[in-house]
Amino acid sequence: MAIDRRTKRLSVLATVSLVLFGLLGVRLWFLQGVQADEFRQRVAAAKTRTVYIAPERGRVFDADGRILAGNRRMLTVTVDWSVVRLKKNRLALFTRLSGPLKTPVDDLMRRYDPCYNLPKPCNEGQRYDTLLPLPLKEDVSEEVVAFLMERSEDYPGIDVVEQYRRVYPYAPLASHVIGYMGAITRDNLETYLAQGYKRNERVGQFGVELSLERELHGQWGKRVYEIDASGAVVRELDEFRIEPVAGFDVQLSIDLDIQQYAEQALETSLRLRRYLPEDLTQLDSAPHNPLDRNNQFLTRIYQRTLPDGTKVDYPQWVQHKAPAGSVVVMNHNNGQLVAMASYPTFDNRWMEAGISGDKFQQLFPSKNPDGSNLDPDLSILVNRAVSGNYNLGSTIKPFIAWAAMHAGIITRDTVHLDEGEYILTSIDPADCQQNGGIARCIFKNATNKNTLRPSKYGPVTVSDALAVSSDTFFYKLGEEFYVRDRQLLKSELERFGFGSVSGVQLPFEWKGRIPDNDVKKALVERGVLDPSEVPRLTVGDNVQVAIGQGLMAATPLQIANAYATLANGGLLLQPSIVKNIYAPLTPDGLPGFADLAAGTVVMSYAEPVVRDELEMPPEVLDPIIEGLTRVIRGPGVRYDFYHATTGQRLFRGFTVDIAGKTGTAQGAANLPWNDSSVFGAFGLGPDVPFTTLAYLEKSGYGSKAAAPVAKCLYLALTGQIRIDPVYVSDPLDISSNLPAPPMILSNRSCLDGSAGIRD
Amino acid sequence: MTLAFLRRKPDRGLGNIHASASAPSRNIDWVLMTAVALLSVIGLFIIYSASYSKAPIGGSPYGFFFVTRQQVFLIFAVIVMAVVMYFDYEWWRDRANFFYGVTVVSLVLILMLNVLNVGDGRTVLSFDVGPINVQPAEIAKFTILLALVAFISDERSEHLDYHRFVIGLVLVGVPVLLMILQPDLGSATVPLAMMVGVTWVAGAKLRYLLMIFGLSVATIGAALLSGFVNDYQLNRFAVFFDQDSSDQRLRDVAYQGRNAIRALATGGLTGRGWLEGPITNASKDIPVQWADFPFSAVGEQFGMVGGLVVIALFSVVLARIWRIAQLSKDMTGTLICAGVFSMMLWQAFQNIAMTVGVMPITGLPLPFISYGGSGIVTYFALMGLVQNVHMRRYR
Repeated sequence: MAIDRRTKRLSVLATVSLVLFGLLGVRLWFLQGVQADEFRQRVAAAKTRTVYIAPERGRVFDADGRILAGNRRMLTVTVDWSVVRLKKNRLALFTRLSGPLKTPVDDLMRRYDPCYNLPKPCNEGQRYDTLLPLPLKEDVSEEVVAFLMERSEDYPGIDVVEQYRRVYPYAPLASHVIGYMGAITRDNLETYLAQGYKRNERVGQFGVELSLERELHGQWGKRVYEIDASGAVVRELDEFRIEPVAGFDVQLSIDLDIQQYAEQALETSLRLRRYLPEDLTQLDSAPHNPLDRNNQFLTRIYQRTLPDGTKVDYPQWVQHKAPAGSVVVMNHNNGQLVAMASYPTFDNRWMEAGISGDKFQQLFPSKNPDGSNLDPDLSILVNRAVSGNYNLGSTIKPFIAWAAMHAGIITRDTVHLDEGEYILTSIDPADCQQNGGIARCIFKNATNKNTLRPSKYGPVTVSDALAVSSDTFFYKLGEEFYVRDRQLLKSELERFGFGSVSGVQLPFEWKGRIPDNDVKKALVERGVLDPSEVPRLTVGDNVQVAIGQGLMAATPLQIANAYATLANGGLLLQPSIVKNIYAPLTPDGLPGFADLAAGTVVMSYAEPVVRDELEMPPEVLDPIIEGLTRVIRGPGVRYDFYHATTGQRLFRGFTVDIAGKTGTAQGAANLPWNDSSVFGAFGLGPDVPFTTLAYLEKSGYGSKAAAPVAKCLYLALTGQIRIDPVYVSDPLDISSNLPAPPMILSNRSCLDGSAGIRD
Repeated sequence: MTLAFLRRKPDRGLGNIHASASAPSRNIDWVLMTAVALLSVIGLFIIYSASYSKAPIGGSPYGFFFVTRQQVFLIFAVIVMAVVMYFDYEWWRDRANFFYGVTVVSLVLILMLNVLNVGDGRTVLSFDVGPINVQPAEIAKFTILLALVAFISDERSEHLDYHRFVIGLVLVGVPVLLMILQPDLGSATVPLAMMVGVTWVAGAKLRYLLMIFGLSVATIGAALLSGFVNDYQLNRFAVFFDQDSSDQRLRDVAYQGRNAIRALATGGLTGRGWLEGPITNASKDIPVQWADFPFSAVGEQFGMVGGLVVIALFSVVLARIWRIAQLSKDMTGTLICAGVFSMMLWQAFQNIAMTVGVMPITGLPLPFISYGGSGIVTYFALMGLVQNVHMRRYR
């Protein structure tokens, strides 16, 4: 009995032991059978150190091989994260480093903790990759490195790595095209990390640097080292080695000689318009008195009442603001852009200069000092050539003319009598303003400064209408398009690429705007237009579009591309800023140049990309070309007296065979000093395969500001004027308060000769 | 004494009638002996592999240092075992109170050393006697067992009444409390495990055992909260529940345990081979591996197969002890075996379990395999007791 009881009790002990040992056996099987491989990998990772090697970013060349964007090797002092994990150690080490690195301790501390000693709430995120050593100071000198390395026991965990810094040897030329680099923004971080970028990398933020980031970037390499318990490297593990792959080199179609000349001409013309006031009495801009209709408009008014009730006195001397502008030069045979200027410009080396946030705000303000929104005219970091939101003014007329002939509304011989004004015929006269209605039915030509009446050009054909820029002719077309089909004009204009992005390899391109019912409704609803406007496309809107005013808007590149379509006989091309993509690491040539002959082209953009072929038989194209040629060379029309064409006086004696069209886009409240100056032109012969477009904001008539720029450019393009040679720039002056130094034409004589006829 | 054996008649008519089958020396459990010997030899190899390449800070590698000492300990332990086997276990039982007294006094002395802060901030667990250290907490396993068994088996009853149980609890509780205060929480659990086994087999009710659990948890909890236990022990306990803690002190503790698991797991099925384990043989990632984590060295070098062999050997040892408990002629022998069984089960389980990460880390050595003189001598002495019961089961 006793024995039985003992046995029973002992069996319990045995059972417990079996359970416990069974448990161990199962755990052993799980660890060593199931998880062994996973643990082996983890242990392997813990015993190695991975060093990532930055790829050399692809360089950017101009058409001649000038290095527009290159790389400079620089030394960066880093510290191992684990060494500075404890705040006490970190503060001590950074205090010692502050002197040699010439950096305040607080700045060093903020490299580790971005919110160090900053007022709360602080929502700065960690900018640096914790898998890479923490960079403390970029671009240090060899002396500093030597100093630190000699005293390495005083500076534990400190290392020096080689990195690349972007350099722009010819800055500020073509800054808007080349763009600049910057830290990865928080919004894009995930995307970039997923593509193998490192957290503290700099990436393209603007221009080609952004749009061709994928080609330029290259791929990171790495080395994996086996380390011992003390962290010292034992050997390299070759099987994990990945060599970095440099990025592709990009050759732009930009010719830096022409680019420099375009930027100089643009800025010079703007400055002249700013500094030389115009006598209002010698201008067509001051409107006749609308109430003076029965007096044959004999009195001229010098005061206007704006819609909001304020009265504006016209000064005798009109001072133009001329704040901004853009020039596009493209080869209309292949769509390659030879020059693209945007003013105000900037030096893209500022973005690599490591300047403080305050300094950056001073150079590139995003707000006025009083906190109000900045005048958009003054914004710098926008490429107006692809992002500008512009009325075309009379430069739209060639396209309207083509559309009218293409749609069969007129032929080249259709004659319309221009008596200075056009009265809509599709509206019941009782609804018209002059009869007490609400609709505007009378559209007038611009005032002639001599007669003080709207200019009368008499019986004009389409060619005459283009030559003297007869608004009345096009008002009529605008109405006839509307009467036939409200979408007709829009669909015809879309053939020239308006209303859609051109597809150039540049970021932030605006697609433009052709008004239709939906567009106008949206504009009214968004409050852009006055709420009293009808929320659908009216005949009056269409009439305004026909002369390039009102709701129609496009970018300078779109306008240039449309002119190129006329120039090459109907091919709508996709403009390209890139000429070739080269294999990585194209060797250097002469100083400042790459040796393109030694490089390998991996992709060429020389073949034009045709987006559309417009039907341009001679009977349609010829009268347009003829009209546009007469804009440059005359003759105008004779009706009562001789009416010269808008460019006739400016281009007197001009030796380059071009056709072109001036335009004056009316600005806010139609005040004369808000007129923007536009000029589109193209060369006629095979020797001058260039289409140019100049758009100078708030600079007056097309023939006054924009056309002279184009005139000078054609002289430069054909080598008839001496242009400044392009040199590698001087180092950036950090103490400067200007985003870019002024660029002035050395020979301004080609700008002279303007006539001062409106449109 | 030998003559007395010869004069006796055999109990049963088995074996050699003339040469008494009940002669103690003829009744040694050689299976148990062999298993223990194998474990000890494995221990020597493991201790060597886990220590030969490592070096004290600023010193040359240990090489054969630990394994040589362990061999000396083993020889000494075998002698001790022989002595224990030579005297009848009843002889030992009769002197249990004396040994118990010596143990308590030495534990008090150790405690005083710690109170006087002789270790200068570090916990003193042993007396330095010339070249060797004597850990009273290890020796106590032997003496407390004897004292408890002596007390309980005094009454020839199948039941353990409450009165006796409480006195037994005090008997065990006093040295356990002294160990907790040292503080050596790990060692303190061993007598408790032993008491659970002994009282259970002696016929304790289940609620008595629950009482032991309750009291142990309360005592340990109180010790933790009152701050008697130093941070190190506390951290080892805390880190078990927070392996990925950001607290640097906890991370350091977790480091040891995590590396032990890594070493073991990377051994895989058959191991990396003798002296081929990168963690055991080429790193210092597992501090004091030869004493605290020998099983991780087994796992890395010999894989799951090696680990299972060690566990199997322990199972053989336990099975033999269990068998002897069954064969014992009296309750004293049975209880001795039950005590040794439960102590060894607990200690082997706890050490292996902490190595594989299912129990918190304590300093409990793995019987027969871990480096450590006091531990090895104590376990050989306990084996001597068990053999003693086996040898004299025919009386």
